[in-house]
Amino acid sequence: MLNLQLDHQSRPDVDARIASGGGEILTVPASADWRELKDRVPQAVQIDVHFESFKDGRGFTLASQLRGRLGFDGRLRATGHVLPDQALHLKRVGFDEVSPDRTDVADDWSQAQTRFATVYQPAQRGGETVVAKRTRSKADLAALNARYRGMEAEEIFEDAIKRIWPGRIAMMSSFGAEAAVGLHMIAKVAPSTPVLFLDTGRLFAQTEQYQRELVEKLDLTNLRIIQPSALEVAEEDADGKLWSRNNDACCTLRKVRPLDRISEDYDAMITGRKRFHGGDRIELPVVERLDGRIRVNPLASWSHERIDAYFKRYDLPRHPLTEMGYASIGCWTCTAPAQDGDVRSGRWAGQSKSECGIHRPVPVAAE
Amino acid sequence: MYRYDEHDTALVRERIEEFRDQVARRMDGRLTEDEFKPLRLMNGVYLQLHAYMLRVAIPYGALRSEQMRTLAMIARKYDRGYGHFTTRQNIQYNWPALTDIPEILEKLADVEMHAIQTSGNCIRNVTADPFAGAASDELEDSRPWAEIIRQWSTFHPEFTFLPRKFKIAVNGASDDRAAIRFHDIGLQIVEDETGQRGFEVWVGGGQGRTPRIARKIRDFLEPRDLLSYLTAILRVYNQHGRRDNLYKARIKILVDSLGIDAFRDEVEEEWGFIREGELSLPEAEISRIRSFFSSPRIEGQTPLPQTGPAAFRSWLDVNRRDHQTYGLSSVVISLKPIGGTPGDATADQMDIIAELTERFGFDEVRVTPEQNLVLPHVRNEDLFAVWEALSAHGLATANAGLSTDIVACPGLDYCNLANARSIPIAQAISETLDAQGLSETAGDVTIKISGCINACGHHHIAHIGVLGVDKRGEEFYQITLGGAMGTDAAVGEIVGKGLAGDDVPGAIARILHHYKALREDGEDFIDTLRRLGSDAFKEAIYAELAA
Repeated sequence: MLNLQLDHQSRPDVDARIASGGGEILTVPASADWRELKDRVPQAVQIDVHFESFKDGRGFTLASQLRGRLGFDGRLRATGHVLPDQALHLKRVGFDEVSPDRTDVADDWSQAQTRFATVYQPAQRGGETVVAKRTRSKADLAALNARYRGMEAEEIFEDAIKRIWPGRIAMMSSFGAEAAVGLHMIAKVAPSTPVLFLDTGRLFAQTEQYQRELVEKLDLTNLRIIQPSALEVAEEDADGKLWSRNNDACCTLRKVRPLDRISEDYDAMITGRKRFHGGDRIELPVVERLDGRIRVNPLASWSHERIDAYFKRYDLPRHPLTEMGYASIGCWTCTAPAQDGDVRSGRWAGQSKSECGIHRPVPVAAE
Repeated sequence: MYRYDEHDTALVRERIEEFRDQVARRMDGRLTEDEFKPLRLMNGVYLQLHAYMLRVAIPYGALRSEQMRTLAMIARKYDRGYGHFTTRQNIQYNWPALTDIPEILEKLADVEMHAIQTSGNCIRNVTADPFAGAASDELEDSRPWAEIIRQWSTFHPEFTFLPRKFKIAVNGASDDRAAIRFHDIGLQIVEDETGQRGFEVWVGGGQGRTPRIARKIRDFLEPRDLLSYLTAILRVYNQHGRRDNLYKARIKILVDSLGIDAFRDEVEEEWGFIREGELSLPEAEISRIRSFFSSPRIEGQTPLPQTGPAAFRSWLDVNRRDHQTYGLSSVVISLKPIGGTPGDATADQMDIIAELTERFGFDEVRVTPEQNLVLPHVRNEDLFAVWEALSAHGLATANAGLSTDIVACPGLDYCNLANARSIPIAQAISETLDAQGLSETAGDVTIKISGCINACGHHHIAHIGVLGVDKRGEEFYQITLGGAMGTDAAVGEIVGKGLAGDDVPGAIARILHHYKALREDGEDFIDTLRRLGSDAFKEAIYAELAA
């Protein structure tokens, strides 16, 4: 805290006097060049910098240089015409005390010192910078999950998009069987949130049709279609049959890598995954870190029945394939209708594979 | 677009409280008028001829739709239904009540905006290419660097009471649309032989009564050193810039008097000491800021529309710009209707633009140094819909870059520094040129008008400049020729004696007719002027006046 002295009647001597405990007290005008003071500073225990006018900002650089260049660690005082509005600046460039001409506004001086909790740039003294705070406080998963315990899904959407990761978050959507729920919430909360749609080039025509229908109906204004690299497809899947030879490699080519290429654009991504999907998703948390990236799953706890009810309540259109028994919809090459009420059983049916890889650390495609 | 985190939000709110307190202290006398003035200026509050004026910062000219809507709401509720976009990519309200200003600032803060450092002797809003992130000639997006500088310069403890105002511009394209050579510091993003990116640094440019083209102080600066190098320049300026004469206080005068080499030595000495310190930018923060500014990715690659009404086609020809992504275009929304006030937009127009920004513009709109707006990213298939909506609201004048795209300062209609009117002159020129078909036929040419020598209308850097002067109580206008703001930077030269206001539109029309008669194939006005010299045009200016 800047120590305010109001009783001191010092005038600039532009010279030195001996301090009572030994050493010199220098009085210098704010216009002084720090280089002229090089020889004097080592003997000084106190330096008074005198401001003729609060508008003359040279004293701020002078203080900075006395501290930074000349390593002065004695008492540094600002005297003369300085304003309470400059309190924080004076402190940050290295002043310990201020002895202003005007002595009737002591309250303003003490108030001004606590007015700002935020500083952007490093200075001689005073406060962790915003940049330092940012680099230190990487999203704390436990705290976020605690924050979202007991919040409704729509509140989680709103909080994540508007408060926690504003401008740095996107919704991933397959435009599959349940997608309308999350997209509807996005539309309500912030329709310009980026919606990432992985167009693998192997999607059902019905999915593409459904995507257009939903975007238009919900008035989503920031759809971003992510496609595989044409060059990579030509090299790795020239005949278009990679899925039948090695579906992991196909998922990597058509989903994992395209998503990876844009993942730097966002700090967090929202997904529509739910625990009732089973498999690895049984223990799905609301916020998780996958390979260093944050995933937010606001609908994690939703049941099949709740989703149904939501569709009915808001009269949301269904994916055309749901009528034919498809409960989870991916590429036409690897999706079949679901069996025995197991939602994801139609994905890579008959194989142990249950995830494409975009929701977990990148798998190494088997050669 | 950059989005505030909790720190940015807190800071803007803290500033509003401080301003409220400053107003209260002025009212009860704890602050004198002399003390209050610089404090209110540093929050964008001017006292003009008839009323207070509030200048709101639009950092590097970029806005989201909700921000544009808030600007419209403020114009409607607290002003007279319009706002004025400026050559420094900000917006000004000419009629707010001082007592409403804290409330206006609250509304701005709700959408991550403020009026911080839009005036006063501090580091001002950073200028950048209005087509950044979209332009086809871009090496690197300049906006992340402008944002980094914005944050670093906000409430800088050392550089808030400088000798005079301080303006920084960043450009990342090969064309210079940010006029870096006419800023106190200009930064040009360049690539060295090894492909490493960095900045070429220019210093001491400016307009005003002593126009100067900036001098190059450094060929290559590594990105991580940006803030330490800027600090070193500002330190030298803060300590040694003149404070005894308002008109000699800008850094350009210090660079003049020391010479660029001695000035550079001072800066480099200081820099050597602070270079490796805390100011060195962490890679994580550079990429954090950068990641806010991705360009849109699109499906499909629709070519440009080949059909449509003639008015749409000519708007495409004139107001559309190539985008770095095939399938997208940038379009200029002209705020220069024939006979209108350059840079003014009504609240209703701002709302329409916000709507288009949201629906068709990937939620981004920019303000240009020419006082127009730009939708940087529009899908080619949406161009017609955008044009239709703009036309319906008087916003589709097809004149971006043409002779009726005139820049003008507020002049004697608003400003207490002005010697002469600017806006009525701009309106008369625009009407005359349009009536004589010169908007369509005289090609790319810049016309800029300042109502006094302070040059806020940028007349020095116009192909044809008009400067208002006061001669024995009467308004006169000097014509300058040959200024340019880009990589071909030049200061225009005064041609002959001043003209009465009524004679200016005719004189400019004659200059352009003369150019049309003299031009060779494909030659723009500025090329013909450079080939023949300004004397070749002198006769045209004064021809009919003598008769």
